[in-house]
Amino acid sequence: MDYLGQQLINGLTLGGVYALIALGYTLVYGVLQILNFAHGDVYMIGAFLGFFAMTWLGGPLAPTVPIALMLLVMFLIAMMGTGLLGIVIERFAYRPLRNSTRIAPLISALGISILLQNGALLIFSPSIRTYDTSSYIPSTLGFSIGEITIDSVRLGVLVLSAVLMILLTKWVNGTQVGRAMRAIAYDKDAAVMMGIDVDRVIRWTFFVGAALAGAAGVMNGLLMRGVSSGMGLIPGLKGFTAAVIGGIGSVPGAMLGGLLLGVIESLAQGYLSTNFADTITFILLITFMLFRPNGILGRPMMVKV
Amino acid sequence: MEFGALKTLNDLTIELKEKEIVSVIGPNGAGKTTLFNVISGLYKPTSGSVKLGTEEMLGLSPAAINRAGIARTFQNVRLFLNMSVLENVMSATFGRTRSGLFSSALGLKRSRKEEAEVKEKAQELLKFFGTRLTGYRWDQPAFSLSYANRRRLEIARALATDPKVLLLDEPAAGMNPKETQEITEIVGSLRAERGLTVLIIEHDMHVVEGVSDRVVALDYGVKIAEGDFDHVATHPDVVEAYLGKGSTATK
Amino acid sequence: MSNLRIGTDEWVAQHEERLASQSPLNKLFARIPLWAKWGSFFVIAFVFGAFSDNQYLLRVGVNLALFLMLSYGLNIVVGYAGILDLGYVAFYGFGAYGYALLSSEQLGQHWPTYITVPFITILTAILGYLISLPSRRLFGDYLAIVTLFFGQVFVQLVLASDNITFPWADDYVDITAGSNGIPGLDTFNFFGFIFDDIKDYYWLLMVSVLILTIAIHRVSATRIGRAWRTVREDALVSEVMGVSVNRVKTIAFVAGATIAGFAGTIFAGMQTSVFINGFDLPLMIMIYAAVILGGSGSLAGALIGATIMTILPELLRVPNYGAILFFVALTLTFFVISKKFNRFLIYVALIILIGFAFQLAMKAIGVTQANAEDWMVGLTGDLLKNWLFVPENRILWGNFAFILLLTLIAFFSIAKPIWKQVLLPFIGFTAIFLWEVRLIADVSTTRQLIIGAMLVVLMILRPQGLFGQTRVEIL
Repeated sequence: MDYLGQQLINGLTLGGVYALIALGYTLVYGVLQILNFAHGDVYMIGAFLGFFAMTWLGGPLAPTVPIALMLLVMFLIAMMGTGLLGIVIERFAYRPLRNSTRIAPLISALGISILLQNGALLIFSPSIRTYDTSSYIPSTLGFSIGEITIDSVRLGVLVLSAVLMILLTKWVNGTQVGRAMRAIAYDKDAAVMMGIDVDRVIRWTFFVGAALAGAAGVMNGLLMRGVSSGMGLIPGLKGFTAAVIGGIGSVPGAMLGGLLLGVIESLAQGYLSTNFADTITFILLITFMLFRPNGILGRPMMVKV
Repeated sequence: MEFGALKTLNDLTIELKEKEIVSVIGPNGAGKTTLFNVISGLYKPTSGSVKLGTEEMLGLSPAAINRAGIARTFQNVRLFLNMSVLENVMSATFGRTRSGLFSSALGLKRSRKEEAEVKEKAQELLKFFGTRLTGYRWDQPAFSLSYANRRRLEIARALATDPKVLLLDEPAAGMNPKETQEITEIVGSLRAERGLTVLIIEHDMHVVEGVSDRVVALDYGVKIAEGDFDHVATHPDVVEAYLGKGSTATK
Repeated sequence: MSNLRIGTDEWVAQHEERLASQSPLNKLFARIPLWAKWGSFFVIAFVFGAFSDNQYLLRVGVNLALFLMLSYGLNIVVGYAGILDLGYVAFYGFGAYGYALLSSEQLGQHWPTYITVPFITILTAILGYLISLPSRRLFGDYLAIVTLFFGQVFVQLVLASDNITFPWADDYVDITAGSNGIPGLDTFNFFGFIFDDIKDYYWLLMVSVLILTIAIHRVSATRIGRAWRTVREDALVSEVMGVSVNRVKTIAFVAGATIAGFAGTIFAGMQTSVFINGFDLPLMIMIYAAVILGGSGSLAGALIGATIMTILPELLRVPNYGAILFFVALTLTFFVISKKFNRFLIYVALIILIGFAFQLAMKAIGVTQANAEDWMVGLTGDLLKNWLFVPENRILWGNFAFILLLTLIAFFSIAKPIWKQVLLPFIGFTAIFLWEVRLIADVSTTRQLIIGAMLVVLMILRPQGLFGQTRVEIL
């Protein structure tokens, strides 16, 4: 039972990260109806930015500022940086292709993904950098419920992802830009006619989505301790899967999908074999997609003939 | 037939006799195209049945329904725009031909023969419309055609499927009087020369009058009148549906 | 900004005008009969094969042929039938690993080639069929996702299958050797004729490509090909016109898979080893790039695309050619952006000026210059020796330049036109600097960067590829 609990906690933590990535996919799909293949690499850049922020502030062994501040700066820099990157991607890979065929943005995003990965490779070289989290956040700090332990890193990640998701929901439902975004997702032409500055809102959408991914990247760095230029691929796929499972285009769906995916993966790793965990996860997802391609919270679309 | 919470085509029964030409009229939103979509298998109704002769069409795939003998055109002309005029028509013979992957790849004799036959058939069908869609036009992409020609091409394409019943969705929409007259003649000859049964959705009453054996009027998915043109055109329910209460119909 | 006018009626209406106004070169090109154009390619290929013994070039030829087959296959799936299959490369891997498992010590099997190749090819076809079944319900983006997953499942399965513990066994079973790959494969051996020279594979592949070209061309021009195109155009209407859309899609999918599987077996036999990381996304992206570059839906496009994608990396390997390529591309870009020749000259002058200024500044600050022999690679090195200042700490400066370049481009994109003109020469100089300092050395990364940049630019400027027809789509 405790083992199950432990796996659940791990799963939720992982799921929080996936959910943040998934949100980026779903937000962009909502306004542009395209899948942003470059999103996973934005996540990777976020992890790197966080790493460099950490190094700049003296690194894990000799921090020049209190740990809490260092973490804050890491996240801020990562999120701002990736947010800006998101805007640039939108400007170059998607905006010129607004009126183009369906496949063109996908290929363009593929190109951006390659550029990001290899750019990172070029600058950062193939070696893996470590966040060396244990040096500055003692893993013994944390608390336990019975036999289940939640170390402080996990706890921090859980809390932070929850906070970010709440903030996002407020943004989507409460602010003018957020509401405009939902309007565009619902009916772009009508939104234009209502006087909404579509370009500006789309820029914001990309910014927010990318920033969330950036935060996820830093979180992953803290959890898994390592960052490398190819690390965006699999989490990108998974975040994407999570968005689809929850119903692509649906914000609560992305969050739900992410958490679900994290839990499933954790359970698969814990109870079945670690080797096959990824395979099993993917197979489960394929099966799910076949029976409910619109996802859990998505609505099937009717097409007028 | 239900769309979410919206019910339409309630208790609708329409019968066509062989070689009859029947027009379906009614204000926009009356459910006419929905009717076509149900018959051609694109929508699955929540209840009811569609029979061709004694065969039940309900639940069959659109391709199977087409092969059974029902063909249609579309309200907003859905051609294969990037394919040539000839190819548009040739492609519709798929259900009547058999060359598979291997026989085509190997260039077998029967495959070549079938291909030549298909080509000839398509050319014949296009000649049906006079010289407009012939000659150099055959190899032009469909998107380069004028609006009227596109509508004609769509009919030719539907004919290539060797149907027994043809559903025409507003064939004269957007046409000038001369073109409209032509359409009327074509619909007539479809029955006369090819023995087709035709069901037409139309708004243009000239066409309806000139072509129909029978007219069915729909409103809100329900049949409100049926009979020959004069009967339906002056029917009070029909007048009300089109013009509101307290009007009289004029031609 | 894009000047695409896809879908606007005006563009459509001007179709006849466009046909009439094609340049004489285009018209001449269009008059050459199809068989002549293809024929020339094959004649060159065959003559070359007969008379040359250059191992390097033969290998390039072999790579080209394999890549071409993959492009053909993907072209059928994506270009003809419009199915976005992102896991296609898994079929290639399946063919290769299938051959490997039957021709090596891994499972102790050494089947004769004339059985193995057809067997594995058919097996791949069956796999393609099985995968196409569940995919029937999905379309568009969803299909892309699921096929991507299938591709990943394949990779994961192979990686994990070196350590399978069956419940009834004590020890674990190693089927695929996981990430280590399977070396020591038997080379092809048809009834005693052993393929011990790369030339043998060259001939096998070229003949296969020839046969495939003819077969695919035939299919494309007839019933099934037309059906594929109608499905790509408008699947719904296609179905209403009697086309069994599902069946037709399956045929395309299986055909593509079979070609990939066949190519996979040949690849494995030739390499005499297989490694799973060669069958993952990077290769998938390359094949897509080739098909898109050439123009999906066109055999000729696949040929051109595959050729470019194969030749490009080879060119980059030789610093001379790579440098020429880079500078030609840079010059062209500036030429196009400048629009007027005078402006172009001004930009060039400005860039040269900046270069000298940079040199002076660097020397003034006292930055150590790199040793001439270290970085002066090739033709351009000699030319630029006196103009470009290359600092000793190349990696650091290279990184800095890279980030600077990206920042400049980012600003360029949102800048007002006046500022755009100011930024351009700086962008040009930074690009040249970056090239000489870093990129020339990191060949593989550079190649990927070029591919990535090319994809983005291509989509913006000419999304239908080089040989594709500009398509009208109802959105």
